[in-house]
Amino acid sequence: MLRKYGIILRRSSWLQALALTGLWGLCARVVHVLALPVPSGILAMAVLLALLLGGGLPAPWVRRGAAGLLDHMVLFFVPAVMALLNHRELLGMVGFKLFAVIVGSTLGVMAGTALVVDASFRWRQGDVR
Amino acid sequence: MSGNLQPLFWAAVTLGSYGLALALHHRHPRWWTSPLLMTWALCFALALTLHTTYREYLRGTGWLVAMLGPATMAFAMPIYAQRQLIRRHWPVLVIGVAAGSTIAFASSWLLAWALGLPFGLRVSLLPRSVTTPFALAFAGRVGGIPELTATCVVVTGLVGASMGELLLKWMPLRSAFARGAMFGMGAHAVGTAKARQLGEVEGSVAGLTMILAGLVSVLAAPVIALCLR
Repeated sequence: MLRKYGIILRRSSWLQALALTGLWGLCARVVHVLALPVPSGILAMAVLLALLLGGGLPAPWVRRGAAGLLDHMVLFFVPAVMALLNHRELLGMVGFKLFAVIVGSTLGVMAGTALVVDASFRWRQGDVR
Repeated sequence: MSGNLQPLFWAAVTLGSYGLALALHHRHPRWWTSPLLMTWALCFALALTLHTTYREYLRGTGWLVAMLGPATMAFAMPIYAQRQLIRRHWPVLVIGVAAGSTIAFASSWLLAWALGLPFGLRVSLLPRSVTTPFALAFAGRVGGIPELTATCVVVTGLVGASMGELLLKWMPLRSAFARGAMFGMGAHAVGTAKARQLGEVEGSVAGLTMILAGLVSVLAAPVIALCLR
């Protein structure tokens, strides 16, 4: 029975995504009931990782579903940016300044992080030139 | 438009625009055809034309926001797949996230202050480098306008993912770790999607960096809240 379920589940990314969403729903419930200070997605991720590492859940059962959810993650961001409908003032000068801050700061964060990681990676590998 | 059909309409518009945007991006893979930007532009233009309020739009698409939970959870998979690599190099990741988070908070605050943005906006900008669920948790703790934070987070992701491509051309990054950490730290989930296109190591390092950065910001939130008081 479990084996048969496994074979079906292994093939369908939709079913897998649905099962993952169900597991997340359970975690969200726990976060809500216990009023935990962590976002439900993070608790669910920890649970899923623990299940995978502990061997309680075979990776092929959820691999495709997880890939599908990650592939389409940007779709889930669209409604957040629609909040601009409520903040028309941001389409003017203030918005331009905010955008400038974001561009400048993001450039710094990315270049800084990349250089630090690259340097410490090489240092750890003893590849000092 | 009738009240009952409207939520359905906006869900269909959003999904339809996304489908179109994916097809377009597949044919012309440029930064300005990024599915997020295209989908948003189509929906925003239509919402402006039809005089739809944000609340009305959200009635049909709130479930998409909720799907960020399962999507965040799905990062367990690439982390699991790359567990050997991560076990071997975790100190590098920790150093990278510590450096990146410091730069993110400090530069957002200082630049916003230099440009004369008011306190409320500055606070809303602070957690913009971390992915939405964490950024909202941070905003709830420290203050700021949650919707504004969410928008800044997404704009950061778009800007970072497109600038990342330029940075890769300018900077000689030899390790896949550095490429992944750059995208995960600077552009959270949008950057992680980009990093996944570069390679599996880049993708999972980006995902892990993003999660670590989120955890750092939530842990730092009480301290930062105290500093701002």
